[in-house]
Amino acid sequence: MTSAEKIYRATPAPAPTAGSPGSPVVEIRSLTKRFGAIAAVANLTFSLERGTVTGFLGPNGAGKTTTLRLLLGLAEPTGGEALVFGHRYRDLPQPARRVGAVLESSDFHPARSGRDHLRALTLAGELPAGRVDEVLELVELSEAAARAVKTYSLGMRQRLGLAAALLGEPELLVLDEPANGLDPAGVHWLRTFLRGFAEQGGTALVSSHILAEIAQTVDQVVIIDRGSIAASMRIDELEARGKGLEDVYLALTAGGAR
Amino acid sequence: MIAQLRAELFKQLSVPTTAGLFTGLLGLVGLAAALHGLGLTSESLAARDNQLMVFGRGEFLGALFAALLGAMSITGEIRHGTIRPTFLVSPWRSRVVAAKVAVCAVIGAAFGLAASALATGVGIGLLEARGIDLQLDGGDYALLIAGGAAASALWAAIGVGVAGLVRDQAPTLIGISAWLLFVEGLFGGNLADISKFAPGTLGMAISGQEPDTLLAPPLSLFLLAAYSIAAALAGSAATSRRDVA
Repeated sequence: MTSAEKIYRATPAPAPTAGSPGSPVVEIRSLTKRFGAIAAVANLTFSLERGTVTGFLGPNGAGKTTTLRLLLGLAEPTGGEALVFGHRYRDLPQPARRVGAVLESSDFHPARSGRDHLRALTLAGELPAGRVDEVLELVELSEAAARAVKTYSLGMRQRLGLAAALLGEPELLVLDEPANGLDPAGVHWLRTFLRGFAEQGGTALVSSHILAEIAQTVDQVVIIDRGSIAASMRIDELEARGKGLEDVYLALTAGGAR
Repeated sequence: MIAQLRAELFKQLSVPTTAGLFTGLLGLVGLAAALHGLGLTSESLAARDNQLMVFGRGEFLGALFAALLGAMSITGEIRHGTIRPTFLVSPWRSRVVAAKVAVCAVIGAAFGLAASALATGVGIGLLEARGIDLQLDGGDYALLIAGGAAASALWAAIGVGVAGLVRDQAPTLIGISAWLLFVEGLFGGNLADISKFAPGTLGMAISGQEPDTLLAPPLSLFLLAAYSIAAALAGSAATSRRDVA
């Protein structure tokens, strides 16, 4: 049993508390975000079902991060809507207990320790103080927890970000490029963790450029190009057609944003 | 809201910035009071207004450093990206800004209290060492110290509000420093009457400085509080409306 399997099984499973049974965990409908004349996201529509890991793919500048920011209430859409558990993110009563997210690997004060970063978030989110040490153990950062984050490697920062996302034992994880900076063991750990999370009923939306890794981890992919849906399909459909994810991705996004 | 207050206080105390600002403030206040107390002539220091000016360096520098602290509570989060996890855990942005205002006002008051007490203590010590009679009474000292704390608390709130509007750290800190250290000093001549209503000058008036030319302390307190509330509301509105990168 790997450390991710071992520790994940010691962590309570996400409670299935969505608005109504069978309703999508994430529902994005005609979502549009314009910056002046440029449409970063254009009429985007897709949804995520409970207990799935979804790869969110697209070239640089395709609108992936903007979509995630809109979903998480960090930006306001120009049109359409992005709902989490049937609500706008900011309308969730205790969002940290439902959704965990990592958008950047560098969102830390460099002089604050890893443990204190997590403690500040537990205070703000009214989360149990004991979760700090639990998630530090989960991401294997207990020994470095007292050190200032400026001494952390990129991989350690990625894991600290994931620890922060897991503080509230969320039902939905939204991760933007979570494998960046992880060594092969870290990538394997992340894959095992995400599969275990989904098997326990959790839902994950994972943006990534590492297609080989995505193909091994996710149940389905949503590919966007120039702010619009290029494809949405299950990985097993691809396998049944004898096609590789990379071939499909490159065919769909040729000439797209970079 | 209690959770936000606890989180913001913890954030301030879990980085060395707050202690660094406090140490720098005390060092600068001690230096300023000592240079005035040693450098001015005995005749000049014998005047009541000049004694108030020397002891009032604590209020002036306390307000400046409190404003910088308040500003960095927002610009620091934007600069380091922690604004994203902050708003993910607490998407109610006006509540987050309100907590920053409250926490920075409390720490700012402590800055002003310590700075005013230090300036007064150093000033009294130097004047007595030079054999200069003190012209101030207990009420003057109480006003210097309590007024310094109040002015610094209100300037901390102004710092939060300005940072919410400007967002970038360097322009915010330079703008606040330039206003207090330079721009308000330009109000003179035909503009002298206007200068009484400038926020930095109101801080001086709250602590009882230049009582013959500045507004009375209660009125000054009311007007500076109005500036603080206006700045905090404007900063909160801007923070709530704008996208987070």
